[in-house]
Amino acid sequence: MTISGRFVLLLALGVVPIVVAGALAGAASGAPTPAAVAAAGGQAAWLMLLAWAALCVGLGAIDLSLAASPRRVALQRELPPRVRLGEAAESHLIVQNLGGRALRAVVRDGWQPSAGVVGANRSRLRIPAGERRRVSLVLVPRRRGDRRVQQVTIRSAGPLGLWSRQATLAAPGVLRVLPPFASRVHLPSRLTRLRELDGRTPILIRGQGTEFDSIREYVRGDDVRSIDWRATARRTDPDAPGGTRLMVRTWRPERDRRIVIVTDTSRTAAARVADEPRLDTAFEASLLLSALASHAGDRVDWLAWDRRVRGRVHGANGAELLAKLVDVMATIDPELIEADWAAVPAQVRRLTSRRALVVLLTGVDSPANAAGLLAMLPQLTSRHLVIVASVADPEAVAASARTEDLDDVYRAAAAERALLDGARVEAAIRRLGAETVSAPPHELPPALADRYLALKAAGRL
Amino acid sequence: MSGPSVPEAVAPATPTDTGARAATSLTPTLRGGLHRARTWIAIAAVAVLGAVVLLVLQGRVSGGGTPLGADNPGPAGAKAVVEVLRAQGVEVGEVSTFDAARSAARDGATVVVADVAGFLEPERLAELAGSADRLVVIAPDFASLDALADGVRLAGSASGPLERAGCALPAAERAGTLSDGQRLLRIDDEARAAGWQGCFPDGEFGVALAEGPSDGGRITVVAAPTAFANDTIDEAGNAALALGLLGETAELTWYVPGLEDVDAASAPTLGELTPGWVTPVILLTIALVVAAAVWRGRRFGPLVAEDLLVDVPVAETREGRARLYERSSVRTHALDQLRIGALGRLLGLLKLPRSADAREIAVSAALATGRAPHATERLLVDEEPADDRRLVELAAAIHELEAEVRRTLRPDADPTQTTERPGRPS
Repeated sequence: MTISGRFVLLLALGVVPIVVAGALAGAASGAPTPAAVAAAGGQAAWLMLLAWAALCVGLGAIDLSLAASPRRVALQRELPPRVRLGEAAESHLIVQNLGGRALRAVVRDGWQPSAGVVGANRSRLRIPAGERRRVSLVLVPRRRGDRRVQQVTIRSAGPLGLWSRQATLAAPGVLRVLPPFASRVHLPSRLTRLRELDGRTPILIRGQGTEFDSIREYVRGDDVRSIDWRATARRTDPDAPGGTRLMVRTWRPERDRRIVIVTDTSRTAAARVADEPRLDTAFEASLLLSALASHAGDRVDWLAWDRRVRGRVHGANGAELLAKLVDVMATIDPELIEADWAAVPAQVRRLTSRRALVVLLTGVDSPANAAGLLAMLPQLTSRHLVIVASVADPEAVAASARTEDLDDVYRAAAAERALLDGARVEAAIRRLGAETVSAPPHELPPALADRYLALKAAGRL
Repeated sequence: MSGPSVPEAVAPATPTDTGARAATSLTPTLRGGLHRARTWIAIAAVAVLGAVVLLVLQGRVSGGGTPLGADNPGPAGAKAVVEVLRAQGVEVGEVSTFDAARSAARDGATVVVADVAGFLEPERLAELAGSADRLVVIAPDFASLDALADGVRLAGSASGPLERAGCALPAAERAGTLSDGQRLLRIDDEARAAGWQGCFPDGEFGVALAEGPSDGGRITVVAAPTAFANDTIDEAGNAALALGLLGETAELTWYVPGLEDVDAASAPTLGELTPGWVTPVILLTIALVVAAAVWRGRRFGPLVAEDLLVDVPVAETREGRARLYERSSVRTHALDQLRIGALGRLLGLLKLPRSADAREIAVSAALATGRAPHATERLLVDEEPADDRRLVELAAAIHELEAEVRRTLRPDADPTQTTERPGRPS
């Protein structure tokens, strides 16, 4: 139960009758002294106060008894199952009045704050008995993951709007907010580069990393070195009897390579670089690389790991791969624990028994933190091609160049130390036979994609 | 979830819609709420009941705490002296209104006025003095004393027990001494001339008891209640004085003025002048405040929990290390970090072999920029900063050198590269 502002106003209006009654009774009493007048007026005012309070409470009680029950309500939700972070989703709540009276209600849909309800999440409804109404809210989620709603609170007012009945009803709902995949803007240009690599242009230097694709007729512009003379000899020209047509061999990059992306979700991934957690950058990079690799015909497996498997996508292809990836990524948050790198080779072995490109998305910042990673790397590099991709901090570079005053100089020294530490770890990783990619958050996904294309072009996959 | 609201939740839907079921209510119904809170309600009821019982018991035991009340057995009461007087055959009447006291006085009783609270108006006390043959006033205030005995004034507290009666009053002579805790009165010459005498003098400061004539009889004023109160009556000659003063006549009226004696006919107070509706309006305002608090404060359903992310700013360790350098003033170490970084970059810029050592890089940089080799060597390798100012200068100079090498080797390079690293002449 609750009361409304209208009831408070009604109560406040009681001042008028109380003062009037007091003044009139005092004047009418005709008592000789001011004290006696006041006493006579006081009595009338007290009576009026009691009467007014009784009136207010009585009206409120009648109002409350006439209010529709907020419990005899059926609720139904219509929600899009998933939405990309940064995009708007519409949430519908259908409220059906099961009671025999008209429901005059204010409805609050109890979304989490991070679900980002646009405007107020209070809706005024008037539902005649037995009918239903739809409450629509626009949600712009502010965070990745499952945004939940558990309850709907209904405040049902009486016909006078003085007192209301209130009840909270269970109406669970989930809206899965997917990673934004902002780096997909880089995809078209990388796909173009991939097509250049592809067998449609026989200009490609053949050699390691390419495989025979097809034999087709020579067109002007093709490299004459790719003419296959034996095929030419076999092929007779139907237009010119006795003549032959020049045939060229085309090559294309190797297909069906295996790519395993291991995303580190431990405490290094929780660090926020340039206002983006490393984990989100890692997701962006994973998505871009997966999209590119699946277009190139390679098979991508994805693993989120700290001390246990936080998420895994295995054996998916094409559009299904990306859909599965974003769905799994949506609910993964970094945990403040140290990653167990020693178990990663076993995890990779479970995903693929063949040689693969293993991409480790982590943060490489200091030798102490990277000890586990460095100890494990030889096991991976002996079987696989390994890329360690890490998010670099652009602020460290900026800080190392500022020498305005003493504070800045010490800060620059600390930043330089951090950069040197990172460089040392990267050098150690390269010595162990792995590749490194290090870039600021917004540049890491395209940088990783470029490295992949370079490796593919060089046939090292 | 499995709340006690199930009976309502499964109420049949209206025929207009089939299959719609009422949502499960998370708020308990009134009956459910009472049922769930019954333990607490029982505990609260027991606590309230206990408090009430305790209050009643305590009220009965301690009784009315009226100072010098004839029926008050407490330390400040006067039941002891009254009971002893009754045992001695004195008829003691207890009154609490002025009218009763005056009629008793007219009947010839000795009247004791113990107005410690100061309820009685001075004029009324004077009127009572006029009607009583014998009036004993205990602990009067300034105004009462002024009305009763012109020329007798309050004169502070006594310095200790009073050892000497010093007057011809029989009761005082019999008592001889008074205990500690007396107050003093001063009788001026005019009053003495009018027939007032004082007993139990405390040196030159005053007397503890004054006795003199009034309009209708005689008045005895005892400045302190000590001689009559239960806890001190057995000390020194207190009891003898009290019994002597009060036991002279066969009838005694013990008058402790109460609230009814506050004179209502005098000038109207502020409370009487305010209009009668003010108090109801104040009460209404209080009710309004409560109602408004409920209106604004009633929560619209339970709070919604939000699980928050951990947020680790990556600059934190860097900043911490910088503060650590600064606090321990490791200038050379800090400068060395900058030097190592700059040397590494110069190595790449000057295209030197990786095996080149710091001095070779410094010399190459000097050759590239046209500086003196020993100066760059000193800047990049040798000099140890003596103070903070020198440290800042050297740091700036290192960046300036790096920027200059960059400019010299790649004059067409992006100009932001050079402005990004501002150098200052050292």
